[in-house]
Amino acid sequence: MRKIFTLLLFLFLTICVNAQTVNVKGVVKDASSGEFLPGVSIIIKGTTVGTETDFDGLYNLSKVKNGATLVFNYLGFKTKEVVVNSQTINVFLEESAESLDEIIVVGYGSQKRKDVTGSVSIVGEETLEILKPIDATTALQGTTSGVAVNLSSGAPGAKVNILIRGVSSNTNNQPLTIVDGYEGDLNSINPNDIESITVLKDAQAAIYGIKGANGVVLVTTKIGKKNKKATVRYDTYAAVQKTTKKLDYLNATEYALVLNEAYAASGQSLPFQNVSALGIGTDWQDELFNDALLMNHNISVSGGGENFRYFVSASRTEQDGIIAKEKSNFIRNNIKLNLGVDINDKLNFSLIANYFTSASQGFDDSLLFNGLNYAPTFGVDEDDTTNFLGIEVVNPLSLLSNTFGETNGNGLEGNFKLEYKPIEGLAVTSRVGYKIYNEKERSFTPIQDYGNSKVYNKTQSSVYQFKTTSTRVNWETFATYSKTFADDHNASFTLGTSVQNDLFDGIYATGVDVPNNSIDFADISLTNLLSEQRSFNTGNSDVRLTSYFGRLQYDYKGKYLFSGLIRRDGASVFAEDKRVDNFWSVTSGWKISDEDFLKDNETISFLKLRASYGTLGNLVGDNLYRSLLDGEAEYVLGGTLVSGTAQGGLPNPSAQWETAEKLDIGLDINFFDDKLSIVADYFEETRKDLLIKNFPVSGVLGSASPGGANPTVNAGTSKNTGAELAISYKAVNTEDLNLNFGYNVTYVKNRVTEVLDGAFVEGGSFAIGNPAPSRMEVGQPIGYFYGYQTDGIFQTQEEIDAHPSQSGLGAATTSPGDIRYKDTNGDGVLDLDDRVNIGKPQADFYMGLNVSATYKNWDFTTYLYSEIGKEIVRNYERFLPNVNKPAYYLDRWTGAGTSNSVPRLTNDATNNKLFSDFFVEDGSFLRMQNIQVGYNFSSDVLEKVGLTKVRLYTSINNLFTITNYSGYDPTHVSGLDQNEKENDGTIGSGIDGGTYPSARQFLLGLNITF
Amino acid sequence: MKNYKQKIKLAFIFITSLLVLGACSDDYLDNSRIYAEDSESYFNSETDYYNALIGAYDPLQSTFVNVLLGEIASNNTLCGGESATDVPGYQQIDDMIHTPVNDDLQNLWGWMFGGVNRAAYIIEFQDKTDFEGKEIIIAEARFLRAYYNFELVKWFGDIPIKPEGRFVFGDEKSIPRSPKEDVYSLIEEDLEYAVANLTYTAPEIGRATKGSAQALLGKVYLFQDKFDEAATVLENVITNGPYVLETDYDTIFEFAGENGTGSVFEVQYTDVQGASFECLQCSEGNVAVGFQGVRGYNGDLFTSGFSFNVPTQEVVDEFEDGDNRKDVAILDIEAWAASTGAEYTTGYEHTGYFNRKYLPRKRSATAAGDLNITNPNNYRAIRYADVLLMAAEAYNRRSNPDDDKAKTYLNMVRERAFGNADNNITTTGTNLTAAIYKERRVELVGEGHHFFDLVRTGRGTQISGFTVGKHEVFPIPLEEIQFSQGNWSQNQGY
Repeated sequence: MRKIFTLLLFLFLTICVNAQTVNVKGVVKDASSGEFLPGVSIIIKGTTVGTETDFDGLYNLSKVKNGATLVFNYLGFKTKEVVVNSQTINVFLEESAESLDEIIVVGYGSQKRKDVTGSVSIVGEETLEILKPIDATTALQGTTSGVAVNLSSGAPGAKVNILIRGVSSNTNNQPLTIVDGYEGDLNSINPNDIESITVLKDAQAAIYGIKGANGVVLVTTKIGKKNKKATVRYDTYAAVQKTTKKLDYLNATEYALVLNEAYAASGQSLPFQNVSALGIGTDWQDELFNDALLMNHNISVSGGGENFRYFVSASRTEQDGIIAKEKSNFIRNNIKLNLGVDINDKLNFSLIANYFTSASQGFDDSLLFNGLNYAPTFGVDEDDTTNFLGIEVVNPLSLLSNTFGETNGNGLEGNFKLEYKPIEGLAVTSRVGYKIYNEKERSFTPIQDYGNSKVYNKTQSSVYQFKTTSTRVNWETFATYSKTFADDHNASFTLGTSVQNDLFDGIYATGVDVPNNSIDFADISLTNLLSEQRSFNTGNSDVRLTSYFGRLQYDYKGKYLFSGLIRRDGASVFAEDKRVDNFWSVTSGWKISDEDFLKDNETISFLKLRASYGTLGNLVGDNLYRSLLDGEAEYVLGGTLVSGTAQGGLPNPSAQWETAEKLDIGLDINFFDDKLSIVADYFEETRKDLLIKNFPVSGVLGSASPGGANPTVNAGTSKNTGAELAISYKAVNTEDLNLNFGYNVTYVKNRVTEVLDGAFVEGGSFAIGNPAPSRMEVGQPIGYFYGYQTDGIFQTQEEIDAHPSQSGLGAATTSPGDIRYKDTNGDGVLDLDDRVNIGKPQADFYMGLNVSATYKNWDFTTYLYSEIGKEIVRNYERFLPNVNKPAYYLDRWTGAGTSNSVPRLTNDATNNKLFSDFFVEDGSFLRMQNIQVGYNFSSDVLEKVGLTKVRLYTSINNLFTITNYSGYDPTHVSGLDQNEKENDGTIGSGIDGGTYPSARQFLLGLNITF
Repeated sequence: MKNYKQKIKLAFIFITSLLVLGACSDDYLDNSRIYAEDSESYFNSETDYYNALIGAYDPLQSTFVNVLLGEIASNNTLCGGESATDVPGYQQIDDMIHTPVNDDLQNLWGWMFGGVNRAAYIIEFQDKTDFEGKEIIIAEARFLRAYYNFELVKWFGDIPIKPEGRFVFGDEKSIPRSPKEDVYSLIEEDLEYAVANLTYTAPEIGRATKGSAQALLGKVYLFQDKFDEAATVLENVITNGPYVLETDYDTIFEFAGENGTGSVFEVQYTDVQGASFECLQCSEGNVAVGFQGVRGYNGDLFTSGFSFNVPTQEVVDEFEDGDNRKDVAILDIEAWAASTGAEYTTGYEHTGYFNRKYLPRKRSATAAGDLNITNPNNYRAIRYADVLLMAAEAYNRRSNPDDDKAKTYLNMVRERAFGNADNNITTTGTNLTAAIYKERRVELVGEGHHFFDLVRTGRGTQISGFTVGKHEVFPIPLEEIQFSQGNWSQNQGY
């Protein structure tokens, strides 16, 4: 009753003041594209009276008081206010990617940017459009504060790693990726389909409970707008790719001279009698690297009617490798359908589907390693049949010719969602997310012979095939009720539940004696059916999660903001009494700029203080509590190989997930009418119960048996502290010229604060015969490098005599020209105890700089990315007497005073190949990721041919890299692991065994919209 | 108003039902399907026991490192390899400069305890399920535990033992290193059980027999200088066992000679399955064989290897003229290359000699790779000749010596070696002891026994760099000392 009364009163009042009114009409357009904007809301300020633009962007509003103000509001655009002074008001709305009113998804809901109380970073469509990433993850590199992105390799289709606020875990540091509500991955999505990527960096992500500790990446894909004509977009680009770097290695003459010297030093006869005839020889890197092509096509159609909206797209990306392109390439196809339908005004459903296929070919890391070590004196077709280079180094081209491997994947992912709004303020959502991914691989190993007893020799051909299926189904139901009490108190309450099941199934098989030793016959059906080498296996897993969650959001006048949330997760992968835990967080914000004393401040246009604290989980490892009979038990009885049962890895009945405690204090401040905006955050994270795989335990427990493994134990704690700063500045914003700067920097300091029993965890490998070079140890960063400190080169025998004995290091004798190691503990002898921290693989600082400008029809953009304060281990040299060597050996010690950095050359046993800072280099770098110039054809011209927008551009990726690192690519993290002991990435990362460098790409592209 | 209330009611029911439906409660977590066998609910049938027994035999294959490293430690061979830094753990032991930080000793420790635990797994569950013939499986498990423990006590001296079953996490901090005598007592108990429950004929070739257990028990007694007991049990094998010396020494070490009449216990290998350097203990082949092969070899009879464990001139000179064993045990590569045209390259510490008994032989085309570490040569762990020489030594050194018996057994070995009785030993007393020692070295060269023979007879100083009171045993791996948190102390001198 009261409502009706109010309405009547309102109508009455409206009629009363209806004296001097006009009928206003006009058209609303997008300021940048000139497109008509349908569905723009127009409201007379201070009233609830208003209308919307129609399909053609037209509106009509009758009886508007002269001098009243019209407020034009459209999602993703800046709100515009116009005073009514004529009957026709045409309005251009400007897009507002960074605007405070932008809607941000925060997990099971969304918020306006200005109301967000957590720490978030956003990458919009424009950034993805400029950077043209093949994997959308790369678009986060340098564009978002607090986020570090590293490729594992430059190979096509290589894995991309994301670190949010540094490394906290020694196992899994990858954030949870949620695409339109389902758990997915960025690498299966066509970057052109992405509307925005939001990164939740702090305790706000606790709504994702046991999976939120590494941060959450929320991806929203595009969907059309209602009442909008179909828009067709075609994008294409082609690029030529070249390697960003070749290493400086010895040519044939230099190589022969250096070898002769080493042989002479050991009193052996010289291997090269006639050096002058050798010339430059073969440059194996030239033989391996090639120019390669990169192509992309993408077409999309989007739009909507009164009750529906849609987006469909198809794309194809083809990338050849810059090394051996015939054996190294990547193809991805995507078909995307997003559909939203209003069944009635209370119920709507949406369907999101992404079908993708991928195909890739690749080769072993050992190819580049052999390329660097194979001697330049050999001809291109020449195999080292006499084992001059040792049995572990072979002609890389021969190796390549025997490499055959291809992986194909296809999958379907998305969700089906129903949303029901029974009463005002209440929305109930139920959705089923799914992801099905099938992968198959076929690799063929022919009979190969590189020379007598080379380790790469194969006397029998084989083909390895597998097929795997991963299925993920997730059903989530949640309800949100929002209400404003007593005008000023806004509250919103969410309650929900989630069930998830991840299934994996795989069949693996190997067949031998492939007919004709040829890839054309490489299928198990054609192999020797009776051979004992034939093998089959299967693998499967079933991981289940059940969760409940709730969240309360409250604000007073939009000025004082608060939210509290809790999530209870149960995971089937832990022991029955260890399955369930609760995660929670509280966040709060104070919009100081809404206070009276700042409200009309001319300098500060927006100021908000934020704080958050909470606990989150990192779900790692499964079934660690089980003691399984999956060890190897094989022996020869009665003349045949029989198999039995044995325990596998040692169990840990109390195994649990990792728990993070996160604190964030942040400040958002905008100056000069939002021209300059600064976001600053201080953060702390304590990561407890780090699940340490292969936790060293006493050998008496039997874990060294075949197929055995040490247990995984919740054995450590690490702490990250840091700060990040993001600045964006709209320097010039006129009709003809726009100039914007964006800069962000993140500092992270990681320390291990606890390891069970005061032990340490070792990992990684360096060369052969050295102890593990990487460690996790209290007081040090996770995975720091542990080795000897060098102190120049011994110039004379007197210097050796005056120095503590180095004979405890392995080689009994030390000669002038050998490395002098520091006796760091001062005990008068050099031994294993003198090893210290000599670097770490993770950077102190991550930085990104972005400059973008438009002048009339031209646009210009550049992105730079830098990491400072990290080290990389140079591990691509094989220490054998006759292999080729890096060019720094030209500056070696050859007598007193000749060098104080590079040791002498000799074939005698020396201590010069021990893991020391001689092999650890500063890995800091600055890379120009992208520089781009584009031209937009004038809309007058285009309208005549029925086009809306045509843009032609050229772009260069990875134009230059400034670094002191001598290896291929300082941006890559991790590398070839030559050791027997397999390790997880974090401990043992940053060791470069000859990584595949990133490509420099020269692109030419075209966008057409109509 | 009524309408409004109804809507709220409806919404409430809708939400509640969805929440309840969605949650399915935590029972859902119990239903996950995992295809795996759990170790603590095993041993439900005879097959389970048999399968676990195979698991306990498996680590025997990792004793390749005991044999290889035992030989390198002695004065029979030099380490060799590719260079002075090729496998530093081996090089250091060869030079007697090894420390508690030694990957290879750590492997040996871990692999042998792995064997102990696998055998103990069966012993721990021995009463769970009954079936006919169970005592044979238990006896073999106890034989294997004794075998692994004996290796450990030989290498490291005092070691932790747990007679009732497997070591579990935390035991390293509470179970002390038992004195050698206690370890030997456990080994003797295990072997006595095995002797009592096994027969001289194995159910399958490769499994331990009564003879294997008796011979090992004799050896264990000998290592404790319990000569009377040793003589008794060894005499028992000789008298009652089915063993005879092969007439031709040369046939023993070829594939055709595997599990022959003189084989008392033999570690079985095969090359039907591939292996990688990532997990040497997982190889079904004899890794030591590839390691001691001739580097870069291309020629008759043999295949190439990594040129470790190269015999010294000194041990070659130990062979008397007319001893047919010399050309079987030692390959003189220069002479061989000259006569057959074989090619080879030289490695570190090249002496020109190789351990011919365990050189990689040419193999079938179907042998699985990495061929360097899948050589199928069985290791003749206890040979009848060893039993005879042990018996000879026991009779010679016991409280009431019987040198005639000692000479009989010694000369059985020598008559085969020379093909006649002209070189028989006739001395007695300590001269006879010395002759037996020398015979053991020559007969068993390349088989990993000499270092331990030197140590147990107090002759360690024959090895250059050997320090009395230190090098009789090897250091406990440093990490193990750390894991024990003060429970275990380091061996003297390390």
